[in-house]
Amino acid sequence: MPLLDAPFPYAGPEALRQPVIDALTRVVDPEVALSIVDVGLVYGVTVTGEKLHVLMTMTSAACPVAGLIVEEVENELDAIAPPGLLIQVEMTWEPPWSPERISAHSRRFMGW
Amino acid sequence: MKPLPAPAGPASRIAPQPDARRSALTPRTLAALRLLMLAGVALSLLAGIAGGLTRAGVALPGSPDALWPGRAALAHAALMMSGFLGTVIGIERAVAVKRRAAFAAPVASSLGGLCLLLGHAAAGAWLGVAAAIAFMGVNAVVVQRQRAAHTWLLLAGAGAWLAGNLLFALGLGSAEVLPWWFAFLVMTVAAERLEMTRLMRRRPAAQGLLYAVLAALLLGAAMPALAPVAGGALYGAALTLLALWLAVFDIARRTVFAHGLSRYMAVCLLGGYVWLAVAGAAWALAAFGMPVRNVALHALGLGFIVSMVMGHAPVILPAVARVKLQFGAFFYVPLAALHASLVLRLGFGTLDPSLRATGALLNAAALALFAATVLGAALAWRLRHGAASLRKTS
Repeated sequence: MPLLDAPFPYAGPEALRQPVIDALTRVVDPEVALSIVDVGLVYGVTVTGEKLHVLMTMTSAACPVAGLIVEEVENELDAIAPPGLLIQVEMTWEPPWSPERISAHSRRFMGW
Repeated sequence: MKPLPAPAGPASRIAPQPDARRSALTPRTLAALRLLMLAGVALSLLAGIAGGLTRAGVALPGSPDALWPGRAALAHAALMMSGFLGTVIGIERAVAVKRRAAFAAPVASSLGGLCLLLGHAAAGAWLGVAAAIAFMGVNAVVVQRQRAAHTWLLLAGAGAWLAGNLLFALGLGSAEVLPWWFAFLVMTVAAERLEMTRLMRRRPAAQGLLYAVLAALLLGAAMPALAPVAGGALYGAALTLLALWLAVFDIARRTVFAHGLSRYMAVCLLGGYVWLAVAGAAWALAAFGMPVRNVALHALGLGFIVSMVMGHAPVILPAVARVKLQFGAFFYVPLAALHASLVLRLGFGTLDPSLRATGALLNAAALALFAATVLGAALAWRLRHGAASLRKTS
């Protein structure tokens, strides 16, 4: 069940919820000095018996760093996920990212 | 909390990205094309710098019988704009769309740069046209994926590159060609900055203002043949207004208070915006006959565009060249050298030609220092993280 207080919808074992949030929060977009979770790029995480699936987006389809960010997400999740769990990061452009997805404290940093 | 099982995962448990495309080309052909592209970028940059130094009155060592220095001096702008920057931006966009066919644009523009150096001027110019057509196709793919203001602007920027390359291939002079080439670079930067401004609270009029400024820029670029004074004044005013727009709305105003790489990038951006404003004023004054055309061109090309390149290289290089860099305060040294040498060249150099030549030489030294900084940062990353991490992330 998605948790309302999580920074993104999470469905899976409770023991993995915080490690997944922490792992994704460690992935930072260097240009804006904010984590991908704070920018609101993570649309959701689903963990089943065999797979840890992340659905995420980018602010721009022209961003050459997207591949690198996905790779960092995979590496961070690889470091915390239990053995045998397939890690799949899926990129989507629907729905498009919008500024409403930025976290409250990041909005303060950006002068909202 | 109960400890989780020890992390295990070999990298192979990571599912491959579904959008990785296969190519009809053999690995050998791909390697050859990659080598050709890199050679084209490197030689265009080196020869472009050498040509620029010759034009600034710096005597370069070498055989007096060699033909390439003369060609490099003649094709200085084409080498820097299309052979180097066009190729680098083409690679960046091709990496973003993840389609091998998208590399046709940078392969063509780098080959065009090589042709210019080898004395095949017409072939080089028309390869630039082919590169820009292919690049428009790549940007159309980007628009198709995300219909947003900034992706449309990127497509319009590609159109400006095509216009400039077409005029160059048709034999028109720098007065007609350069505004389009610079419009390509300026619009590419503006589009990317517009996208980033979405992270800040933006006044409703901001986007409309940017459209008006960029429309004025394109109109100014189209006017030199018909109304050179009005066209130049409009183009210059648009550049300065764009600098003001960026100074007011860009996130760099916020991220300059962050730390490390984010702050460095913001410093590069803000410094670049100052040169953009200077370039705009000089461009307009040059249109009215003041002898500041050289100031306009190099405040824009070196002060604005190269600042953007220096700022984004630590982020873009790992993405496009698969080379990780260890960021450190030393990155500020070549940046400071670039700006200080530009003050010498474009400020004091307008009064004394020898200072202009010295400033140009120091500009080149700042670029060489930046290249050495990048190499050192790549080495530092490897030393710190070791070969195992490199394998994991490659």
